[in-house]
Amino acid sequence: MSTTSTGIRVAAEGDIPEGEALAVPAGVTGHTDAIAVFNDEGTYYALDDTCSHGQASLAEGWVEGGEVECPLHSARFCLRTGKPQCMPATDAVRSHRVEVRDGEIFVHPGQEAA
Amino acid sequence: MKRIAVVGAGLAAVSTCDALRTQGYDGELVLFSAEEGLPYDRPPLSKDVLLGKARREDVLLRPADWYEQRGVELWPGAAVTAIHPEQGTVELAGGSAVGAERIVLATGGTPRALPVPGGDDPSVHLLRTWEESERLRERLLPGARVVVVGAGLIGAETAAVAVALGCRVTLVDPVAVPLTAAVGPEIAEVLHRRHAEEGIEVVTGGVERIERAEGSEEVSVHISGRPVPLAADTVVVGIGIRPGTALAEAAGLTVDNGVVVDAAQRTSHPHVFAVGDVARQDGHRRHEHWEAAQQDGEAAAAGLLGKPMPQRPAQWFWSDRHGSRLEAVGSMADAGRTVLRGVPGGGPCTVFGLRGDRLVAAAAIDRVRDIKAARRLIDRGVAVDAARLADETTDLRTLLRG
Repeated sequence: MSTTSTGIRVAAEGDIPEGEALAVPAGVTGHTDAIAVFNDEGTYYALDDTCSHGQASLAEGWVEGGEVECPLHSARFCLRTGKPQCMPATDAVRSHRVEVRDGEIFVHPGQEAA
Repeated sequence: MKRIAVVGAGLAAVSTCDALRTQGYDGELVLFSAEEGLPYDRPPLSKDVLLGKARREDVLLRPADWYEQRGVELWPGAAVTAIHPEQGTVELAGGSAVGAERIVLATGGTPRALPVPGGDDPSVHLLRTWEESERLRERLLPGARVVVVGAGLIGAETAAVAVALGCRVTLVDPVAVPLTAAVGPEIAEVLHRRHAEEGIEVVTGGVERIERAEGSEEVSVHISGRPVPLAADTVVVGIGIRPGTALAEAAGLTVDNGVVVDAAQRTSHPHVFAVGDVARQDGHRRHEHWEAAQQDGEAAAAGLLGKPMPQRPAQWFWSDRHGSRLEAVGSMADAGRTVLRGVPGGGPCTVFGLRGDRLVAAAAIDRVRDIKAARRLIDRGVAVDAARLADETTDLRTLLRG
């Protein structure tokens, strides 16, 4: 996996099943948190993996309708913006731009998706 | 409305304040907390706080600066002693009155004391507040003999923490397999058996009395049907709560196992709302779950502001014990039959409760995603095929598509 402005390759299309997510460790991306890469009906999104409310991994959450629901306390976040959609979360999680090139999924850590 | 007063400072109270602001209320908002310090979340009190893993700042419901940002005036240590909805005031200890056009009661409840001789011995701990959790934690030392009375959620979690901390734990409950009504017999049996597997002595029986010989450091806990009492350094009682209805009763509101409210959390007085553990919706059971308290706040805010009621998903709760996570959704009492997914006792496992071809409840050990799928199947009223639910190779998401 290589860095640079081309982004970091995190997976190939098909590696992340529909409705699932992959947590990419901070050591791989150089980002402060692990990054969760979600597949919501064929569209890929990336957010900071740690819920802004508890200490859960959003990659373990429920992905549907453009949102991810935290596995621990059911806070929901917009996959595109990282903004909380309901309580108990009140703070957004960071979003990262995702790019699909030639069947490969790239994340740009720190570049906001929206 | 010029001012809304929220009485109490638990999740339901803070949720009400949050939702009022989110839904556009721009008047004054005062949060009266009988306790000192910033409002905190209660579930960790029988888990990470008791384990010594979480400090007060780790369990705050909102950070300190949130209150100012959201325009919520927090009055810590301000116990409300009376409400006067006709005059539009709340009265504080000391006699001062604060004006409020609307009042939200979020007074929670107090743990039921053990109604037996010696039930008030200093060795007996209840668990509801930060201070109570701190006090109990100081007693959970390696080798300490701890008797936990009540094997519901709080008792089971406390027993699990105590044994993890090296205490010698006995768990006492009159019911042979607690939680059966809530999670079904299959899961309840696995949960209860786990206590013994983790080294807890499990006793089926009721506490008759607690005795302390003069000058003794220990107490004797007498159990029905057992000739020899249990010797204990510390006793923890988790046998439910009494809803904190005193203010409502004194104000003449309708109270019946909780302050009776409508779907908008409105009490029998149109200017008073009630949320969280203290409230009971007319025609329903009173619920004491965390998420329900949060949703009560959102509903009350909508009711106060005359906005449409938010949709309520099927009820959900969780409990952590012995490193495993129990979750349940819906109402197992409504199920006509149950379907298992996985083998109870053999690791992660889910039980689904069906009524006809509709899912009405589910309970699971270490299967968070099954519960999330189940909740959606219940809420959307999707017809389900029992064989596919039971088949572990079925992706439950596919059932949502009908």
